Amino acid sequence: MAVFDKEQKKNFICILISGLIICLIILFKIYSRLNIDEQPTYLRLLIYLIPYIIVGHQVILSSISNLSKGKIFDENFLMTIASIGAFVVGEYTEAVAVMLLYQIGELFQDYAVNKSRRSIKELMEIAPASAVREGKDGKYEVIDPSDVKIDDILIIKPGEKVPVDGVIINGEGEVNTSALTGESIPKYLKEGDEILSGYVNGEKLLKIKANKLYDDSTVAIILELVEESLDKKSKSEKFITKFSRYYTPVVVISAILLFIIPSILTMNWREWLVRACTFLVISCPCALVISVPLAFFGGVGAASRAGILVKGSNYLEALSKVKTIITDKTGTLTTGEFKVSNVYLTSSYSEEYVLKIAASLESYSTHPIAKSICDAYDELYGESRNNKFNKEKKNNLLEINEVKNISGLGITGNLDGKIIAAGNYRLMNEYKVDIKADINSNEYSFEDTLVYVTKDNKLIGIISISDKEKLGAKDTLRMLKSDGIERIVMLTGDKKVVAEKIANNLGISEYYSELLPQDKVKIVEDLMEENKDDKNNLYAYIGDGINDAPVLSRVDVGIAMGGAGSDAAIEAADIVIMDDELNRIEQAIRISKRTTFISWQNIIFALSIKVIFLILGAFGIIGMWWAVFADVGVAIICILNSMRMLKNNQVIKKLDFSKNM
Amino acid sequence: MKKKFRVEGVDCADCAAKMEEGIKKIDGVKSAKINFLTEKLTIEADDMKFDQIIKLAEAEMDKVDSGARIIR
Repeated sequence: MAVFDKEQKKNFICILISGLIICLIILFKIYSRLNIDEQPTYLRLLIYLIPYIIVGHQVILSSISNLSKGKIFDENFLMTIASIGAFVVGEYTEAVAVMLLYQIGELFQDYAVNKSRRSIKELMEIAPASAVREGKDGKYEVIDPSDVKIDDILIIKPGEKVPVDGVIINGEGEVNTSALTGESIPKYLKEGDEILSGYVNGEKLLKIKANKLYDDSTVAIILELVEESLDKKSKSEKFITKFSRYYTPVVVISAILLFIIPSILTMNWREWLVRACTFLVISCPCALVISVPLAFFGGVGAASRAGILVKGSNYLEALSKVKTIITDKTGTLTTGEFKVSNVYLTSSYSEEYVLKIAASLESYSTHPIAKSICDAYDELYGESRNNKFNKEKKNNLLEINEVKNISGLGITGNLDGKIIAAGNYRLMNEYKVDIKADINSNEYSFEDTLVYVTKDNKLIGIISISDKEKLGAKDTLRMLKSDGIERIVMLTGDKKVVAEKIANNLGISEYYSELLPQDKVKIVEDLMEENKDDKNNLYAYIGDGINDAPVLSRVDVGIAMGGAGSDAAIEAADIVIMDDELNRIEQAIRISKRTTFISWQNIIFALSIKVIFLILGAFGIIGMWWAVFADVGVAIICILNSMRMLKNNQVIKKLDFSKNM
Repeated sequence: MKKKFRVEGVDCADCAAKMEEGIKKIDGVKSAKINFLTEKLTIEADDMKFDQIIKLAEAEMDKVDSGARIIR
């Protein structure tokens, strides 16, 4: 049998033989004149001891060895005592049955645990096993990914995992990014593109230059996160640990009392011994101790398969209690892929010059708007960005001194003794530049983001930049509401008109616009103040920029858009959405609700069964058979229940919005 | 020094918690964590006595669950 390992196989055979013998004994009792129960006691004991020893020898031996190490309350010991107790009072069949059922249960439990461990290993299998390095002499050598050095040239064969983060220097083709992003559609990469460890190469040979060590590469960071996530325990897990610390001793003491007091009162010690033994059998809290963390592991695993990195079980649990989502606009609700839509001239300078001034300034910023201006300049007049990556190409941007990046406003600098600036109206106010420009205001769209460009404190042009909503953003927000999110608040540094337009389109009724980064923290804190005493009304914030980092660490659950997001945001967040899809948040909430639901299901089920059976056992209504069920049976049921979280692909299935758009 | 080891023969989550407690009590151990599901032991301890501490930790594990061991 391939499903069992060696030890399990041995146990399985013992169970089989012993079960067969006990069946034979029972059959003899019913159909044969040779009724074993009518034999002398020593003979009967001998007959029953055979199946008992076969199935229980390991349990008895390890309980003896544990006892010699000074450990009393372990399962083996409890089972040994309970079954010996049954022998003492003459319930021979019961004694064998207890051991038999216990071993069957243990076998199942072992099997279930092994199976979940395997599923977990599968989840972890995104790690590359080896890397192929091209030496200076052109020879290839296979090395361990952790031996790769920065600037090593690596060969990625078709179908192999990318070992470390790097840049493609030769070849192009499709790669499968699903291990990191959950995205099933392959991504097309070409020379010069960044390639992440954990991607699986498609059908072409790729040559890459490593730009990170293995330990700093995406895949290592993700694996670390998933593993560490188990160490940050959720409240239900903490509850269980605390609970089990008291549960076992309390039950064992009650068992002793249950034996001593009524025995003295009634003098019927046999009956009370059986009842006390029943108590002992139910006293192990294993069902809970395994199944609750397992459910959370499954949840974190399911999320990571969908490209949602959860940094701790506690955050997964907290997410299920989120009622208010506060969200950044750019890069979260909108694609963040800004495009220069127009350049309006307000002086005699040419469009090329206005864009050149703006691009020269914006090349010092990583803001998406800055990037869009540089891109527009690139496209039309040259290569402003490329110079950063390729020193060979001539930089035709302007040489600027004293560059100042004023967060939330814009960038200023000094060009040949003249102050130049590119930024929003607030920067203009700061510099007292008249922006009521001499152009026909009907010409430009007020709903776009405007970047004012000045030289020597005079407006020389206005660049309008447009951004579009993410596909399916509206549907996702609607679904969030049906998932129990009561309030969605949008925060943006953009102008009121821009914010209003997006909010109306997406059906968001509450928004704050024209905010500086520090305003965001203030607003979030004010919002959180409203419900600070309600532990079941938590706040999540979704953001992607550096300026979101303080807010992300302030809220109960910080969610960062990982693909487009800044490292600071990803660092500060509790949950990272790898592919920036908004509907992943909806998925994450569903996974979190399911996980917490399953873990509470287990807690309530296991506890109530145990309590009920303890009561029934105390009154002698149920025997030891049922006690074994309450112990091992419940554990198996709980484990199986939790394993649904590891298996269920329904919750992680990506929603496809493209069809109905 | 902080190091991660694979462990074997940790058969129940409750035992893992008990082992953790036991290992933490060993002299020189700063922190210890046994992950029952991934079968990993993370231990932070004095560099000087590290090997000895690992031996003691293994003994501690064996005490809780016979046959439990650290894979080195």
